[in-house]
Amino acid sequence: MTSIGTGYDLSVSTYSPDGRVFQVEYAQKAVDNSGTAIGLRVKDGVVLAVEKIKHSRLLVPNSNKRIMTADKNIGIATAGWMSDTRHLVKRARDEAHSYNSVYKSSIPAKIIAERMGMYVQAYTLYSAVRPFGVSTILASIDKDGPQLYMIEPSGQYVGYRGCAAGKGKQVAKTEIEKLNLEELTVREAVKEAARIIYAAHDDAKDKLFELELSWVCEESNRLHAHVPQSVLDEAIEYAERALDDDDDEMEEDDE
Amino acid sequence: MAALKPGEVDLGTTIMAVSFDGGVVIGADSRTSTGTYVANRVTDKLTKVDERIYCCRSGSAADTQAVADIVKYHLDLYSAEHGEMPTVKVASSLFQELCYHNKNNLMASIIVAGWDKQNGGSVYEVPLGGSLHKRDFSIAGSGSSYIYGYCDKVFRPNMSKEECIEFVKNSVGLAITRDGSSGGVIRIAVITEDGVERQVVYGNQLPLQYTG
Amino acid sequence: MAPLLEPNAGFKFDNAKRNQLLSDKGYMVPTATKTGTTIVGLIYKDGVVLGADTRATNGSIVADKNCRKIHYLAPNMYCCGAGTAADTDFTTSMISSQLALHSLNTGRDARVVTAMTMLKQYLFRYQGHIGAALVLGGYDVMGPHLFTIYPHGSTDKLPYVTMGSGSLAAMSVFESSWRPELSREEAVEMVKDAIEAGIFNDLGSGSNVDVCIITKDNVEYIRGYSQPNERVPKEQSYRFAPGTTEFIATAPAATANDAAAMDVS
Repeated sequence: MTSIGTGYDLSVSTYSPDGRVFQVEYAQKAVDNSGTAIGLRVKDGVVLAVEKIKHSRLLVPNSNKRIMTADKNIGIATAGWMSDTRHLVKRARDEAHSYNSVYKSSIPAKIIAERMGMYVQAYTLYSAVRPFGVSTILASIDKDGPQLYMIEPSGQYVGYRGCAAGKGKQVAKTEIEKLNLEELTVREAVKEAARIIYAAHDDAKDKLFELELSWVCEESNRLHAHVPQSVLDEAIEYAERALDDDDDEMEEDDE
Repeated sequence: MAALKPGEVDLGTTIMAVSFDGGVVIGADSRTSTGTYVANRVTDKLTKVDERIYCCRSGSAADTQAVADIVKYHLDLYSAEHGEMPTVKVASSLFQELCYHNKNNLMASIIVAGWDKQNGGSVYEVPLGGSLHKRDFSIAGSGSSYIYGYCDKVFRPNMSKEECIEFVKNSVGLAITRDGSSGGVIRIAVITEDGVERQVVYGNQLPLQYTG
Repeated sequence: MAPLLEPNAGFKFDNAKRNQLLSDKGYMVPTATKTGTTIVGLIYKDGVVLGADTRATNGSIVADKNCRKIHYLAPNMYCCGAGTAADTDFTTSMISSQLALHSLNTGRDARVVTAMTMLKQYLFRYQGHIGAALVLGGYDVMGPHLFTIYPHGSTDKLPYVTMGSGSLAAMSVFESSWRPELSREEAVEMVKDAIEAGIFNDLGSGSNVDVCIITKDNVEYIRGYSQPNERVPKEQSYRFAPGTTEFIATAPAATANDAAAMDVS
């Protein structure tokens, strides 16, 4: 504190005079530096998509998955630190398992979102711990139909029709808002999700990336799964074509 | 395995539950004994654990009351957390969880029955070791030994509500006349979407049977 | 260096060692004082009446001829205790203090079901090792209530109840004469009859009848409501005339008065 800063950002157990907890906001910054992750809840299922930025050409394609499964019917896509993600996914799996062993039925999305929210929130209370640098997008189909939730580093959790996190979230949100999510099918949503991830990708900053796509729908037997290769290829083709068309239009504008 | 401790109050009992389309009928005798003394001749062994879920208790009175109270607490918590009523399956799963994990300290054999929106009327059985079984109908308690044959013979799937009530009355009636640890009145409850309807059959109005 | 002193804090197991020794040598291990008891309660038109005998026993010896078995729980609640005297005393006084804190927190009179639940959960936790068999009666916003609580933690809710070794004798009185909507006089008389049935027919019960009448806004605790075992004057005097025993010598004994007076001048 000798040179700069007010000292109010050193601990999660200290508020700033205007009522903020800076450490939680910094955790949000960590999320904002990450590749984009989005979730779309449509009429017959939920789609998750992630822009997995690759820091090396030597990585094996399709390795280091950023979309994981918490329970048979629950998928988790995250933006932020992968190490924190793995910790939270383990927690989600434990919660799902414990719910199942007590009630002998699978955990509803609302409940797992609440429990994850409570867990994340606990890390904003004590000076000995660091808040999670992760926004968690949770997708599932439960007895009330398709469900989509996002949990922020603050512990806040909200149900969405569509949501986005990571460095391209502004672009992604603008694009998602244009979609008619109530009418869309998962087959269509998969393509749109791919298009949005490609649109949100900043080629100037990150050259290499890989699209990851997963869904929970009737076609996947209401289980969470990565989409089949054929569906992925089709989506990527659609996304690239949309991007080219966009570029063409822009070129036309230039003329 | 747990046994009754000296001086412990026993629900030497006949209990049963039958499901029908749209609900369940549950029944029990009303005798509670300490050794050879009847400590309560009008006991209510049909215990409410949620709006539409009841349990029939047999075994140690103290143990089954304690378990029912704990389950009642968890079901209230469940309703508050989920914003909807728990299913009979959830309730019976809670009973099983408690009975299995404390099997060495408990003498409790319980039938869980009730109505819920997802499955209609359903009956589950949690016997001594803490296992869980879904049943069309279930009998338990010391008196049940005397009526297994009768129940297997008389039970038919898809009985009407009235037929189920008669089935319970006749079965429990037969059990309490042969089992010394069962007796008193027959208590019956009918649980449907519309509510819980209680009935009592007094000792002098038991169904007709051979009495020697 | 200071010598290691034997610590005087913590548990002492002297009595356990003593009991083990006695038992090994084939002697009887000392037993706790039990209240071989008759306690009862019934609901009448306007409230609850509790009753108890006043004998405490230690084996075949009457340890106390006039003990209190109706314990205070809260201003609107009393509780009769049978079983191990120390356990009933301790259990009721502990729950009583918890109830006092509870009603201070809520700003209301505690309910009888609350006391019943506290007692049953406490006794259940100790799996019957706390030998308290209780009759709990009281009046709260929901009206009059009467419960029995067994040492293992089971409870019953009934309009008339009896407990203790004299419970069979007392129950025979209730079963033959109880009816709903009794008047106060009839109720108290019936409780007295039930306790007296215990006093006269059960060896573990004896001495006097205590009753406690709990109504909406009033409690009447009557010690020795009936005293059927009053000590009567002896029909003959057993005093011996002075000089009955012969003596052969006398010796003066020093008393305090003989001591030299202190000089205070």
